[in-house]
Amino acid sequence: MNNEYPENVVDKILQLTLRENRFAYLAIDAEARLLKSGGDLQAMALPDWKPGSNIEDDALFLAGYLPLKTDYELIAAYQVNDSCIIDVHLFKDSNCSWIILVDKTEDMEWEATARQKANELRLLQQQVKNREQALGPFAETQFDFFESLNMMAFVAVAEGGFQLLKPVAQRFSEIYPESFSATEPLYPQEKFPFVENFLIDADDIWSDPKNGKRIRSGPWVELNNAGEEVPLEAIALNWQGHKLLFIEIQDESYQLNHNFLQIGREGVLMKNILQEAVRKQTREIRAREEEIALRLVCAADSRDDGETGSHIRRLGLYSELMAKHLGWGDADAEEIRIAAPMHDIGKIGIPDHILKKPGKLTESEFQIMKLHPEIGGRILSNSSSGLVQMAREICMGHHEKWDGSGYPLGLRGEDIPVSARIVAIVDVFDALIHKRVYKDEMSVDNAIELMLRGRGSHFDPELLDLFIGLKQEMSEIAFDYSNPIGEDRTQPVKIIEDIHQLRPE
Amino acid sequence: MKKFKICMLGAFAVGKTSLVQQYVNSIFSEKYQTTLGVKIDKKSLQVDGSAVELILWDLAGEDEFINVRTSYLRGSAGALLVADGTRAETLKIALDLQSRLQTEVGEVPVILIVNKLDLKSDWNIDQRKLEQLEAGGMQIIQTSAKNSENVEEAFELLAGLALSEAAK
Repeated sequence: MNNEYPENVVDKILQLTLRENRFAYLAIDAEARLLKSGGDLQAMALPDWKPGSNIEDDALFLAGYLPLKTDYELIAAYQVNDSCIIDVHLFKDSNCSWIILVDKTEDMEWEATARQKANELRLLQQQVKNREQALGPFAETQFDFFESLNMMAFVAVAEGGFQLLKPVAQRFSEIYPESFSATEPLYPQEKFPFVENFLIDADDIWSDPKNGKRIRSGPWVELNNAGEEVPLEAIALNWQGHKLLFIEIQDESYQLNHNFLQIGREGVLMKNILQEAVRKQTREIRAREEEIALRLVCAADSRDDGETGSHIRRLGLYSELMAKHLGWGDADAEEIRIAAPMHDIGKIGIPDHILKKPGKLTESEFQIMKLHPEIGGRILSNSSSGLVQMAREICMGHHEKWDGSGYPLGLRGEDIPVSARIVAIVDVFDALIHKRVYKDEMSVDNAIELMLRGRGSHFDPELLDLFIGLKQEMSEIAFDYSNPIGEDRTQPVKIIEDIHQLRPE
Repeated sequence: MKKFKICMLGAFAVGKTSLVQQYVNSIFSEKYQTTLGVKIDKKSLQVDGSAVELILWDLAGEDEFINVRTSYLRGSAGALLVADGTRAETLKIALDLQSRLQTEVGEVPVILIVNKLDLKSDWNIDQRKLEQLEAGGMQIIQTSAKNSENVEEAFELLAGLALSEAAK
């Protein structure tokens, strides 16, 4: 290009090319004949001149300029037609004249647009400036929307104070009237102790300018002038280095959450009340069952003198203690407490002369006595009650022995229901440590020593070990319930011992 | 005037708000109105000749819906742990909250209130546990927010303890 155009022309073309890339050029001689041309002449709404043709008649913009009297002339913003405006740059060269045509149409549009934008920007700047004057030290943005958001906005200033960003939602006048007349910094933390506490958490957010996070305080409640509760929540935000604090009135969201919580909690309370009522009734039913069972057992055993209802009461308590230490639940442990006393209910079917015989039974008498578990089993059979079913198990199984030598079925080991294995142990223990018409009482230690002889033969060895481990508690039960359990519910009973093998000679 | 922040802590519906309302405004409402968040009341009183202001933070009760925000406990000079005598499980919740209070603010005076004394016949709270706590030094007061029995005494006792603690 340098070989064809003068240096100033090249520079100008380069500038124009860099700017727009929308230009054309013509080279003419002194008579305005075209020497050469280039670029997009059509876009300039100019004819397609041929080399050698005279352009002066068609290129009206040249009128009066040729021949060029200076090295450079500019014909600015020449309107070729309604839609095309061009700049015409005329250069004088030693050999010819150069005409550079530049399309200005878009330039003009851009300029108009830019001017429009500039005017808008100026207006906006003016608005911001006006706002700055109204807002004081915090003027980068507008906060009109706080009114509609029921929100008070503060920016932290020196010494713990806050500058209020106005306007303030009208409702705050009811709980924080000082904010409406504030010209000096405000201290919402002094007005609201809750905020004082929250600002400690807010400082974590504010102390890190890059944090950009916000934290919410959770709701709290203030009273307005009328004594009505106004739910509020504080929000701390670090915004472009500004420590912002918002206090928001929470109407709908609070009420929604509150209603949800109220309903949920009332439901829980109602459930608790119903559960407690059921528990209470269950306890009452159990107490009645236990009383009936004890009375029946006492009535059955009243045919003989000597023992009182305290034995059967103790038996229930020993069994319950064992069950609990075996990991039974409260309901099951309670069940065995009530069921265990019924273990000998079958003795109701044993004739008096055998039942009341003070001395050792003959073999035939003992065979009759051995029928009492089955008699009891029949009495308690076919019940849908778990309690009665357990009582039957105990009744049928408490004379079975671990080694299978017991009666009535000769069951062995774990084939014997565990409830019956428990009662087998505590029944013997209680009989041994209490006085009978045919024997003195035995010390607890002596009784245990004697029972250990039956470990693994008469008694389940593991259960016996557990029982011995509970010796102290068992002794306390024996002591606490050594007397009849009450005149109104107890009849004298006699514990008939059929553990002749363990009875001391 | 000495100011003490006092937190009301306990399970929901044990009567925390009712205790505060009874103490501050001598008001009692039969209707259960749950608290969401925090309500703060103030009460000025004289303790051993000293003017004291209690800032009472009535916190929403703890349950499966809401956990007490431990940050609310910050700066507490004491707390009233409130249990409902008719709901055994509320004692454990009150004691759990005491642990969280200690974690947040250290050892501060606390009083265990067993509320709803007016429903004493329905109480099922673990008396043995209460005896153990008392033997361990816990101050326990049985109150009725409904008929105001021992309510003022509980707050005043705690104010006295807070004042003594502050004087150390």
